[in-house]
Amino acid sequence: MSGASGRPAYVIRRLLQAVPVVFAILMLNFLLLHLAPGDAAQVLAGEAGSATPEYMAQLRQRFGLDRPLAVQLLFYLKQMLVLDLGFSFRHSMPVLDLIVARLGPTVLLMVTTLVVSVSAGVALGLLAASRAGRWQDTLISVLALISYATPLFWVGLMLIVIFSVKLGWLPTSGMETVGAFHEGWTRVLDIGRHLILPALSLSLFYLALYVRLMRAAVLEQAGMDYVTTARAKGLNEARIILTHVLRNAVLPVVTVAGVQVGGLLGGSVVVESVFAWPGLGLLAFQSLFARDFNLLLGIFFLSACLVVVLNLAVDVVHTLLDPRISS
Amino acid sequence: MRLTRLLASAVLVAVVLALVLSPHDVTAQKRGGTLVMLVQPEPPTLAGYLSTSGPIGQVTSKIYEGLLEYDFNLKPIPGLAQSWTVSADGKTISFTLQKGVKFHDGQPFTSADVKFTVLEVLKKVHPRGPATFREVTEIETPDAQTAVFKLASPAPYLMMALSGYESPILPKHLFEGTDLKASKYANAPVGTGPFKFVEWQRGQYMRLDRNPDYWKKDRPYLDRLVARFVADSATRTAVLEKGEAQAAGFAAIPWSDVKTLAKLPQMETTTKGYEMSSPIVQLDFNTRKAPFDNVKVRQAVSYAVSRPAVIERVWFGWGKPATGPISSNFAPVGFYTPQVHRYNVPNGIEMANKLLDEAGFKRGAGGIRFEIVHDQTPYGEEWQRYGEYVQQVLAEIGIKATLRYEDVATWLKRLYTDYDFQLSSNWIQGLADPVIGVHRLYHGKQIRQGTVFVNETGWSSPRTDQLMDQATVELDPKKRAALYHEFQKLVVDAAPLVWVHELQFVTVHHKQVKDLIVSPLGLYASFDRAYLDK
Repeated sequence: MSGASGRPAYVIRRLLQAVPVVFAILMLNFLLLHLAPGDAAQVLAGEAGSATPEYMAQLRQRFGLDRPLAVQLLFYLKQMLVLDLGFSFRHSMPVLDLIVARLGPTVLLMVTTLVVSVSAGVALGLLAASRAGRWQDTLISVLALISYATPLFWVGLMLIVIFSVKLGWLPTSGMETVGAFHEGWTRVLDIGRHLILPALSLSLFYLALYVRLMRAAVLEQAGMDYVTTARAKGLNEARIILTHVLRNAVLPVVTVAGVQVGGLLGGSVVVESVFAWPGLGLLAFQSLFARDFNLLLGIFFLSACLVVVLNLAVDVVHTLLDPRISS
Repeated sequence: MRLTRLLASAVLVAVVLALVLSPHDVTAQKRGGTLVMLVQPEPPTLAGYLSTSGPIGQVTSKIYEGLLEYDFNLKPIPGLAQSWTVSADGKTISFTLQKGVKFHDGQPFTSADVKFTVLEVLKKVHPRGPATFREVTEIETPDAQTAVFKLASPAPYLMMALSGYESPILPKHLFEGTDLKASKYANAPVGTGPFKFVEWQRGQYMRLDRNPDYWKKDRPYLDRLVARFVADSATRTAVLEKGEAQAAGFAAIPWSDVKTLAKLPQMETTTKGYEMSSPIVQLDFNTRKAPFDNVKVRQAVSYAVSRPAVIERVWFGWGKPATGPISSNFAPVGFYTPQVHRYNVPNGIEMANKLLDEAGFKRGAGGIRFEIVHDQTPYGEEWQRYGEYVQQVLAEIGIKATLRYEDVATWLKRLYTDYDFQLSSNWIQGLADPVIGVHRLYHGKQIRQGTVFVNETGWSSPRTDQLMDQATVELDPKKRAALYHEFQKLVVDAAPLVWVHELQFVTVHHKQVKDLIVSPLGLYASFDRAYLDK
């Protein structure tokens, strides 16, 4: 079953299986959200500072909140069948437009964080394992522990205070220099400069986990028979580690990284908030408090799809790394 | 003698010459530059005609204008209306509009826009408009430059509610015949104001550019205005300190950080520009249920809260003890009086204990008279500190309070729909006129289940209702003031709320930003006079 020929069929089967799962998630999301007290009309009126009863009634009618919950659910599912994410009345914009606008920055931050944290985590984990018990190992482990245990918002704020306010090297927040309106390569560079601190804060957090996973996996693999065999064959240590051990040891890291991408999508609320990064996490967070359910459900739908796809991707990567794992 | 006379004439000539020849632009405003202001939180839309939400108003007030502007004495001054007359019976208000005003799309502004905006938009879909304009039955437009408001009864408060923030004038040609609640101009406003909307990068910033065809000659001075959104309060402080933004107001910078920023040489702070908001920090009782149905218990709590302590410890010194339902910001128009029962006394705790004893709430085990749940306004840090302070003083008078902190939607529903509370902190803006901002909290007809920020305490009295009804139609400012003085006395005696202090917002800006706050509208003004002195 495994191998190149079986893979596309496997992928398609898995995707088809995911459809009912995603629909079940949608229904659950919808019902759970409606358990929250208060509604979008109330929040909007609250923000306005005052409202007449007619105004509230108009809002509810317009938002469809005056209909029974079951009817609202049916409408929602009908919409989703044709992949129509609906309209955010709060923002007076289609949900899709709102999400698309935030998707770019989210993916940018996510991918940068993933690349930096996985590669640095793997490298440091490998280093720690190869120097197990020596001072390098202790140093890396202690640093990893500290960066994992320090609250994310505090790390973010400290980075701002040091690199931005005191040293003046980097901008405090945002994705671009506001008011400059750069274009072309200057814009890319500008975004890059803005990306450094948020990506660093997030990476420091996730890196710690990968370091520890990698270190443990390498040490475990190092005691395996195939390593002894390779050594007996006369291979040098570097070759053993890089071609044999690494391939096996990186499996748990890939698994965890796959799971964490889903978390990164919504879990970077803190970093997005501290660095004013225009991502989806913060949008979801604000939508929840505003009871902007159409928008929130849209984001949830996207996350659900992403998690399904990523799980599939992780499984495929597994079969590539270790052909013995059959699909 | 001759010499002195000669000298005197020489000096005179010199002075006259100096006056005549001196360049006029010694104090002139400089043109150009971009002003970045922090707006918190990011507004959901720019539909200032559908919502009076602060962040929306801070941006739309630069794009849309109103018929009037106001000076620091809360007197109307010309805006889109260059002059106006009110008939003796107060039922006809005639506005003469400015000449040569154009919307940002080049179409002329006329009396038809005024008529459409007031009757079709503000009176129908604005959160406060139906109340503000309820007496307006018709607007006559004899010519393009004249708009005559016909009123069913006099409405003196109406003249206070015509700013660009409160009652923005919209272009009829873009809104007429469309669904107002789904207009595409909700996110791309087109007004007559000094700045034009250019773009909105959601989650980041909004860009407004100078309107070169603005009807006020040579204005605005700034080339560009950017509203930037930063969700984290500590980051906002850093952004301002580093100069990535030059101005922030309301509570965008936490009071705790304002102190730190104010010490920096490049910074300036001001509490001016909030005179038409007039927020008061309160404790609201649910007077329907025991124990707060008892006036003595309410008065006791009112005595127990130390105003200076709250201002100093929770709001870092920004605030002024409140005496009653009407803010002292209304002193210039005569409505405010401090001649009411005083709860802000040094021996407040003692007085409170005495009242509670009289009310029959004896101290039981552990010195506790009764237990309550105290709801807290869910608007951030200082509100939690405030709740903790109230919990402490209540403990001193034998009331054990459990604190409850919920999110905004839940809290609003609890207070204004379910009436499921005993004591809640709150803050309410007195706005531009008591009819608009104050009556809603005390009038019997304002006990409207499901509507937010109205009378949720359930308290009212026939006499105070009558006083408010009279003040609503009284044109003589003196008589109106007398009605409000009696009103304040009676409400303060009944204590349906505790008026703790007049909340002072602080606008923090870089010193190079000049003429930022030039009217009681503050950050809700158009910024047509603001400039950068580099």
